[in-house]
Amino acid sequence: MNPKKIVAAAAVVASLALTTTACNSSSGSSDIKVGLSVSTLNNPFFVQMKEGAQAEAKAAGVDLTVTDAQNDASQQANQMQNFLSQNVKSIIINPVDSDAASPSVKSANKADVPVVAADRGVTRGDIATTVASDNVAGGKLAAKTLAQQLGGKGTILVLQGTAGTSASRERGQGFAEGLKAYPDIKVVAKQPADFDRAKGLDVTTNLLQAHSKITGIFAENDEMALGAIKALGSKAGKSVKVVGFDGTPDGLKAVEAGTLAATVAQQPKELGKLAVKNAVALAKGKKVDPMVKVPVKVVTGK
Amino acid sequence: MATDTLKTSNAHQSPKAPGGSAVLRRVLLDNGALSALVVLVGVMSLMSGDFLTTQNLLNVGVQAAVTAILAFGVTFVIVSAGIDLSVGSVAALSATVLAWSATSQGLPVWLAVILAVGTGILCGLVSGALISFGKLPPFIATLAMLSIGRGLALVISQGSPIEIPESVARLGDTLGGWLPVPVIVMIAMGLITGAVLARTYSGRAMYAIGGNEEAARLSGIRVKRQKLVIYALSGGFAAIAGIVLASRLASAQPQAAVGYELDAIAAVVIGGASLSGGVGKASGTLIGALILAVLRNGLNLLSVSAFWQQVVIGVVIALAVLVDSLRRRA
Amino acid sequence: MSTQSATKPLSVKSASELLRMEGVRKTFPGVVALDGVDFDLRRGEVHVLLGENGAGKSTLIKMLSGAHRPDGGRILVDGSPVRIHGAQDAERLGIATIYQEFNLVPDLSVAENIFLGRQPRRLGLIDRKTMNARAAELLARVGVDVSPTDRVRELGIARLQMVEIAKALSLDARVLIMDEPTAVLTTEEVDKLFRIVRALRADGVGIVFITHHLEEIAALGDRVTVLRDGRSVTQVPAATEQDELVRLMVGRSIEQQYPRERTAPAAGTAAAVPLLKVEGLTRRGSFQDISFEVRAGEVVGLAGLVGAGRTEVVRAVFGADPYDSGTVRVLGKRLPGRDVNAAMDAGIGLVPEDRKGQGLVLDASVHENLGLVTLRRATRAGLVDRAGQRRAAARISEQLAVRMAGLDQRVRTLSGGNQQKVVIGKWLLADSKVLILDEPTRGIDVGAKVEIYQLINELTASGHAVLMISSDLPEVLGMSDRVLVMAQGRIAGELGAQEATQDAVMALAVKDIKGVTEDVKEMEGSRGH
Repeated sequence: MNPKKIVAAAAVVASLALTTTACNSSSGSSDIKVGLSVSTLNNPFFVQMKEGAQAEAKAAGVDLTVTDAQNDASQQANQMQNFLSQNVKSIIINPVDSDAASPSVKSANKADVPVVAADRGVTRGDIATTVASDNVAGGKLAAKTLAQQLGGKGTILVLQGTAGTSASRERGQGFAEGLKAYPDIKVVAKQPADFDRAKGLDVTTNLLQAHSKITGIFAENDEMALGAIKALGSKAGKSVKVVGFDGTPDGLKAVEAGTLAATVAQQPKELGKLAVKNAVALAKGKKVDPMVKVPVKVVTGK
Repeated sequence: MATDTLKTSNAHQSPKAPGGSAVLRRVLLDNGALSALVVLVGVMSLMSGDFLTTQNLLNVGVQAAVTAILAFGVTFVIVSAGIDLSVGSVAALSATVLAWSATSQGLPVWLAVILAVGTGILCGLVSGALISFGKLPPFIATLAMLSIGRGLALVISQGSPIEIPESVARLGDTLGGWLPVPVIVMIAMGLITGAVLARTYSGRAMYAIGGNEEAARLSGIRVKRQKLVIYALSGGFAAIAGIVLASRLASAQPQAAVGYELDAIAAVVIGGASLSGGVGKASGTLIGALILAVLRNGLNLLSVSAFWQQVVIGVVIALAVLVDSLRRRA
Repeated sequence: MSTQSATKPLSVKSASELLRMEGVRKTFPGVVALDGVDFDLRRGEVHVLLGENGAGKSTLIKMLSGAHRPDGGRILVDGSPVRIHGAQDAERLGIATIYQEFNLVPDLSVAENIFLGRQPRRLGLIDRKTMNARAAELLARVGVDVSPTDRVRELGIARLQMVEIAKALSLDARVLIMDEPTAVLTTEEVDKLFRIVRALRADGVGIVFITHHLEEIAALGDRVTVLRDGRSVTQVPAATEQDELVRLMVGRSIEQQYPRERTAPAAGTAAAVPLLKVEGLTRRGSFQDISFEVRAGEVVGLAGLVGAGRTEVVRAVFGADPYDSGTVRVLGKRLPGRDVNAAMDAGIGLVPEDRKGQGLVLDASVHENLGLVTLRRATRAGLVDRAGQRRAAARISEQLAVRMAGLDQRVRTLSGGNQQKVVIGKWLLADSKVLILDEPTRGIDVGAKVEIYQLINELTASGHAVLMISSDLPEVLGMSDRVLVMAQGRIAGELGAQEATQDAVMALAVKDIKGVTEDVKEMEGSRGH
C-alpha cells in the first residue's frame, strides 16, 4: 500500500477515536463546567468513584469532564492545565501523588478556579475542600474487627499495599495503632503484595510455608485479601480470619460467602458524589467545609 | 574465541568420556543462569528452613508459571531480534475475553477458550503486521499494543473483575491433590517452545532473522511472513498465560499482569538470550523464570522488608546476566 | 606536535628500530593462532605482512592495537618491552590501526570523527572552530578533498579510508597498521593511497601493510614478512618474484592463477541453452536498459568501475531489490520482480558482495548457515529434518574443503576464504542452476581463491552457469567466457574471451554514456511541478 494512504487512514482513525472518547467523557450540557482528573481507571475503586461523580453531575445538570491520568503524575498535570484552558468553573483532583499535584493546584489558584481533592489530599496549594475516606480510622477499625473475630488473641499476617503509597502507609499505620489495644495478637510477618490479587495469592502461599499456624490476615485492600483467601483454600473463614479493605463488589461477595471475615468498606460512589456536590457548590460561589469525611463502615457476614 | 555453548551442545567436546560429576560441572560452567539458580536455591535453603520442602518448591513452580509462559512467547521474539512489550496487556485482555464471553455472554467454555487464545494471536498478528508491513520498530508497535490491549480489557470488563467459569478455574488447581496444573501447563508450553525453536522451519528462521535479517532474506526466508508467525506465537502464549493467571484467581481482571512483560523479558535475558537476537533457548528461559520466582518466594519466607525486596531483585537480575556475560567472555 | 620533529629528513640511520615482536604466541580455545612469531618494524619503512587468510595476520595486528594480549613472547617499542592491554596503551605508544571495517560514526562530521573522544574544548564545550581547522590541516596533509564538516555517512569508501588515515595522523602515530586497505579501492584510488603512504614513510612513520594483491608489494613495500599457519616463515625483500612469494605463502606453488577450463559451447550452437535471460531491465537512477543472457556451462563476467551499477543489477535480477521495467527469465519462464523466493525456486543463487553483512549469520554455526537456503525444502509439516540437514552440510563442507573445527563452529571465527565457501555451499546444496557471484574472492587469500575458481569450473562443467562480478580485472579476464562491461548504469559493451584485454575492458568502463544521470535530473525536475 502507498505509505501516504496509510498515514492518512491512520489519521482518520485516530481523530475518530479521539472524538468518540471525548463525547463519552463529557455528559450533560449546561453552563457550569466541572473537570475531574482521576488518578487511574485501572482500579475498580476509582471506576466506582467516577460513576458516582457522573451520576451526581447528571442529577445536578452540570457538564462534567472526566480524564484518566493512568497513575502518571505528569499526565495529571497536563490534564489540569487543559481544564484551566477549557474554562471549567471548578476542578476535582484525585491526585496520583499528593506532592506532585501541588503545582497544578497552585496554578488553578492563580486562575481563581476552586479545587476539590478527592480520596487523597494535596500537600501544598489552596484546596477548597478535601473529600476522603479516613484511611487511618479505617485501619484502626480493621484492627478492632479482626481482634473481635479472633477473640483478642492469635498470630496474624499483614499484606501491605504498594510500597510508598499513602493508602498503604495510612492503613498500615491505623492498623498498627488499633492493634496496640490487643497485646495478645502478634504480627508474625508483614510483606508487600502491591494491592494485586495474584501477588496476594503468591505472597500468602509463600508466607504459609514459614508460618503455617496463623489465625488471621489483614490485607490493606480487598484484592490482596481475595488472593489470600485463594491461598488459604478451605481454611479461609474457618481457622483463618481474613479482613480486607475497600468493600469492592468482589470483596462484598466474599463476605457474603463467609470466606472474607470482614472488609472495611469505603464508599467510592458516595465519595464521587460528594466531590461533585462540593465542586458544584464552589462553582456557584458557595462556601463549603474544608474537610468532608466519607464514612467508612465495617461489613461483616454476621 | 568465546564459545557459544548454548547453541553448540555437542560441539568439540573433549574426546574422553567425562564422569558424572565432571558432566555436572561442565553443565554448570557452560550455563551461567543454571549456576545462578543453583546458588540461589542453595542460599535460600541455608537461610530458611521452610524453603526446601516439596510443597514450597511446587509453590515456586506455580508462581513461576505465568511469567514462564509469557517468557516462552517472548523468547521467540527476542531470538528474532525483536521485542514484545504487550504480553502483559494481551494476557489480561485474553483472560477478560474468556470470562466475558463465558460468563456474561453465556458461550460454551471451549468456545470461550478458543476466542481468548484467538484474541491473543490476533493481537500478535496486528503487532507483527505493523512491524513487517508498516515498518514500525518492534518497540513502538508492541508499546502501542500494550496500551490497546489494556484499554480493550478495561472496555470489555467495564473496569471490574469478571468471574470465570468453574471448569476453567480448575486449571488453577492440582491434579491428584498435589500436582499443580499451572506447572503442567508451564512444562507443556516449555516443551512446545523448545520443539518450535529447534525443530520447525519457523524456529530455525527465527535464529537466522535474529542473527542477520538481510542474510536470511537473501537466503529465501520469507522474513515478513515469519515475523507475523513470531508475534502471533507470542500473542498466543500470552493468552494462555492470561488464562492460567485468571484460573488461579478464579477471576479475570482487566488490571492483572501489569508490568509482567518486563519480568518476561528479564527471564528470557537471564536465561542467556541476547537482546540483539540469534541466541536463546527454551530451557534458559525456564531457568530465568524460576530464578525470579525463587527470589520472590525466598524474600517472603525471610520476611525481607518491602522496600529492600525491589533492591534485591534488581541486584540479582543484574548479577545473573553479568555472570553469564563474564563467563562467555572468558 | 611531535609529528613536526618526525618530518626532519632522516639520515642513513633510518634503519633505527621502532617496534619488535619476539616469539609471540597466542592460542584460542582449540586453535593456536600464533606460534612464535618474530617481526620488526623500522622508522620510515613499509613492511608488508603476507599470508593466507587464517595464517595469523589479524591476530598479530590485534596484539599491536591492544585487542588481544599475547600468551607468550614479548613486544618491544623503542627497544624496551611494553604491555599493550587496550586501545589506550596503543594510542600512548603511537600505534594506530586502520581495519578493513572502519571505526567511524556515520552521523558525525569528518572532524568530529577524527577527534572523537578528544575534541578540542573551550570552557567545557567543544570548540568547533579549532577542531575544524585542525581537521582541515590533517585532511590537507592526506591530500583528500573532504570538508571537515561533511557527514561521514555521505562519503565513499575511499574517502572513509582517507579520514581514517587523517585520524591516525591526529594521534601522532609513529606506527601505522593498515589491514588490506586496497581491497575495496579502484585502481585510481589505490594510486592515491600509495602516494599518501609514501609521503608518510618519508616522514619517518613505520607502516605495517597487509595486502593480498601481490603486485602491490613491489610497488610499495620495503620488506616482506611471510606468515604461514601462525609462524613467521621468512623475511624477504619486497622485490621478490611474485611466484616465489606465493610459494612461500602457501607452502606449495600454484601452477596457474586462473585455471579456467572453458567448457561452454560456442555461442549460437544448439547446445547453448540460455538459462538466464534479462531484457531491458531498468531502475530509474540506478541502471537502464540492461539486456544479456547467461547460457548453461558459461561464466559471464560483469566488469566495470565501482558505482557502475553492477551490484544493483544482479540484486534486481535476484529479486532482492525492485526494478521499474524489463524482464528476467529463467529457462524461458518470467520471474516476478522483487521476489527472492521466486528467483530461488527458478534456480538462481546470489553470493552477495557483503559476505558478513548479507551472506552469513555470523553467530550461527557452519551447518546452520549451510542449511539456510534449503531450510524450506527440508521441512515436512512444519518440522525440519535436522539430521538430514546436518548430513548434507557435512557432505558439502567436505566437498568444498571448508577448514573448520567442526560443523558447530561459529562462522564468525572462520577465515574469510572459508566463510565464502560456506556462502557458496548453501547455494550448491540448493542446486542453483545460475549462480551469481558478487566479488567472490574479495579479501580472500590466494589458496582459497584457486579453490573457488576450481569450483566454478566444476559447476560449469556440470551444466550450471555463473554470472560473476569482480573488480579484480585479471580475475574477470582469466575466468570469464564472455565479459560484460558496465558504465554509468548501462552495458557499455560485451567482449569475448579472446578480445577481452585489460585495455579493452577499461576503455569501455570509462565510456561516457549519456543516460541514467540525465534521467534522474529529469525525474527530479518533473516532481516539482
